[in-house]
Amino acid sequence: MKKQILCVTAGLVLLIPTLSLPAAEVTVFAAASLTDSLKEIAAAYEKESGDKITFNLGASSTLARQIEEGAPADIFFSADDAKMDGLEKKGLIEAGTRKSRLGNSLVVVVAADSTLQINSASGLTNASVKKIALADPKVVPAGIYAREWLENFQLWPSIEPKVVPTENVRAALAAVEAGNVEAGIVYKTDAGISRKVKVAYEVPAKDAPVISYPMAVVKESKQREAAKKFLNYLDSKEAGDIFKKFGFILRD
Amino acid sequence: MTSAEWQIVWFTAWVSALSTLVILPFGLALAWALARRDWPGKSIVETFVSLPLVMPPVATGLILLKLFGRRGTIGGFLHDQLNFDIIFTWRAVLLALSVMSLPLLVLFARVAFEEVNPRLEQIARTLGAGSWRVFFTITVPLAARGIIAGMILAFARALGEFGATIMVAGNIPGKTSTLSLAIFQNVQLGEDAHAFRLLGVSVVLAFAAVWFSQFLLRRKRK
Amino acid sequence: MNLLLNKISLPLAHFTLQVDAEIRSRVTAIFGPSGAGKTTLLDLIAGLRRAQSAFIQIHDRVLTDTAKQFSVPTHQRGIGYVPQDLALFPHLSVRQNLLYGCKSGGAADPLFSFDHVIEVLEIQPLIVRGVTELSGGEKQRVALARALLASPRLLLLDEPLASLDAPLKAKIIPYLTRIRDEFRIPMLCVTHDRFEALALADEIIVLVNGQVLQTGPVLDVFNRPANADVAKIVGVETLQPGSIADLNEGLATVKIHDVTLTALAPATGTREVFVCIRGEDVILQRDAAVASSVRNRLSARVVALRTEGALVRVELDAGFPLFALVTRPACVELALHEGEPITALIKTPAIHLVSR
Repeated sequence: MKKQILCVTAGLVLLIPTLSLPAAEVTVFAAASLTDSLKEIAAAYEKESGDKITFNLGASSTLARQIEEGAPADIFFSADDAKMDGLEKKGLIEAGTRKSRLGNSLVVVVAADSTLQINSASGLTNASVKKIALADPKVVPAGIYAREWLENFQLWPSIEPKVVPTENVRAALAAVEAGNVEAGIVYKTDAGISRKVKVAYEVPAKDAPVISYPMAVVKESKQREAAKKFLNYLDSKEAGDIFKKFGFILRD
Repeated sequence: MTSAEWQIVWFTAWVSALSTLVILPFGLALAWALARRDWPGKSIVETFVSLPLVMPPVATGLILLKLFGRRGTIGGFLHDQLNFDIIFTWRAVLLALSVMSLPLLVLFARVAFEEVNPRLEQIARTLGAGSWRVFFTITVPLAARGIIAGMILAFARALGEFGATIMVAGNIPGKTSTLSLAIFQNVQLGEDAHAFRLLGVSVVLAFAAVWFSQFLLRRKRK
Repeated sequence: MNLLLNKISLPLAHFTLQVDAEIRSRVTAIFGPSGAGKTTLLDLIAGLRRAQSAFIQIHDRVLTDTAKQFSVPTHQRGIGYVPQDLALFPHLSVRQNLLYGCKSGGAADPLFSFDHVIEVLEIQPLIVRGVTELSGGEKQRVALARALLASPRLLLLDEPLASLDAPLKAKIIPYLTRIRDEFRIPMLCVTHDRFEALALADEIIVLVNGQVLQTGPVLDVFNRPANADVAKIVGVETLQPGSIADLNEGLATVKIHDVTLTALAPATGTREVFVCIRGEDVILQRDAAVASSVRNRLSARVVALRTEGALVRVELDAGFPLFALVTRPACVELALHEGEPITALIKTPAIHLVSR
């Protein structure tokens, strides 16, 4: 009798590892420019790990604000350091989890059927360019980078009157696609996913400010272990290959 | 309040006032037709006029964007033939405010017209007054209280418009930035103090407008 | 005046309005029970409603011809309208109401001057008042004046006396007569009150359920109703012209030919009246000597008897044609035959006097 009970108990104990744990749901607040690459990475990860990844995509400034107000994010993936720094100062980021490996370049895009020629930053001051769409240059990373680039050439004062600020960088892209502005300044990776725009000018790395995409686990996260696991995956080679495919610069 | 903030308040106020004036002739004509006439398809017109009141404002904004954008039916014509742009200019703000506040004016003006005794209009005609004279000397004065209340509410609605405006006009500082858009942006920027000041002004304006329209509606007819 | 109403046809809720009439007299009453289509007819003449078919012409000017799809718009018809609810413009002063229809700039000379109209209708003290401060009679006069000041060549009046009490009615009738006599405008009055029709009109059109049952001079129609329907509406069996000989303590002594009757003094001061006596109010008695409260005892002779259901209509000669309605059993009891002498009793309050 005792032997049977022992056997059953041992069997049950051995079974434990094979019992699948309930799947974790990790919520990632990520910059809009990461939309397509992250979705592909998440799909691969979900198959592998069994965890579920949900996204809240938008302007890093909006997302940071939401996290400050207590939104339930597990991971924050920003398009510039300033937003991450801001949250760290407020003690909202889990220490030791911050990583940064991605870069990007800025491009000037025009509608696919446009005949406009823009060969340099000053090309934007041309009278034929009446309106330029940017993510809000006051607060959204993509817009801030674009402004910094033009400020380097002292062109910002003459270009600012033409600027149509949009909510995030994808909205700027959409404005160019719709033809309501003559040009837009977005990330190279954004131009890559749209067939309705073409790149008129790629800002050389030496002219542009350094673009970086820090990512970290949010302190208030209720899925810290699962979040850390996904963060590591985002840091992996597989993820890196996908990022590279979409045109991001890897700085490992 | 900074001068930039006062500029926003001033811009919001005059574009809202202008939109109310712009919708007045068309709104009154529509309200009169709905009150006094019947025609096949009238219920469809009624439904369309009410849509901006009921649909999510951003949805209305999206429709306007598609229509008036440079590749849209109307916008394309204006851009190609007349070199005239609407989207992302103050004219888009005027468009959004007008479309969103029109249903309110039509609603109130229609009820006001329906309450005018048609016999009075008929007798005026027997006294030799043509249709326009009857409309301006009999119908409108007797419907005035309801019409004015409708105008004030349309104005208040325009003051607070956000969803459609941000779609078609963006939030271009100094050019298309209205009170609501500025509050939104200030919140995003973390500029809460600015946001609350602007919020205070909006509340005061909206409160005054609604209170005044209630006052007009409540006043006993002499 | 010559107003031609031809082939008018308009289906209404419960019946079809069908009118074919030619109106020539100064004042014509359209007379019938409520809901007969009278107001609708006025609306058609004024151009406020469209008929299914109609041909309307004043003198030689065609106003409506549905066959040719032709219709003069209301504001060009020159037809004044005083509706039953008067429709004074509440947001305008009395003066503004009055001047509303006046053609500005003297494009055509107004038919009646402002001052003349004000004087005839005695509304001078009301001019500066607001419309809502006026009494019923005052509103009536202002509405009349307003219509006149628009220089109409035809005046339509919908139940002009209906909402007024008896003393007020008596006060307004002279104004209407004055309009008829001083301004000489043809008038078309809608009324359901037979005494109103008597007092105002020369000719009468009897309209019942949308159909014209009889037209003609007022007295003719009332005395000789074409059929039972008209008789029922007219409802006065005895109608004779008479004159007041004396007025004393609220009672009037009326003479019809040589016969003297005592009636209640009428509100108007006219001497010439119509004497109206309903058949139900005439009592027949064999014995003349019995004392009773009745003032009017007439010696009469039975001329004819006609059975109408449970009643008998007795035509008498009392010095003037007098009709009585009695039950059949009563007729048998009194042994009424043609040629029989009988006494007719009529109570004073039952004699109705209408000014002529």
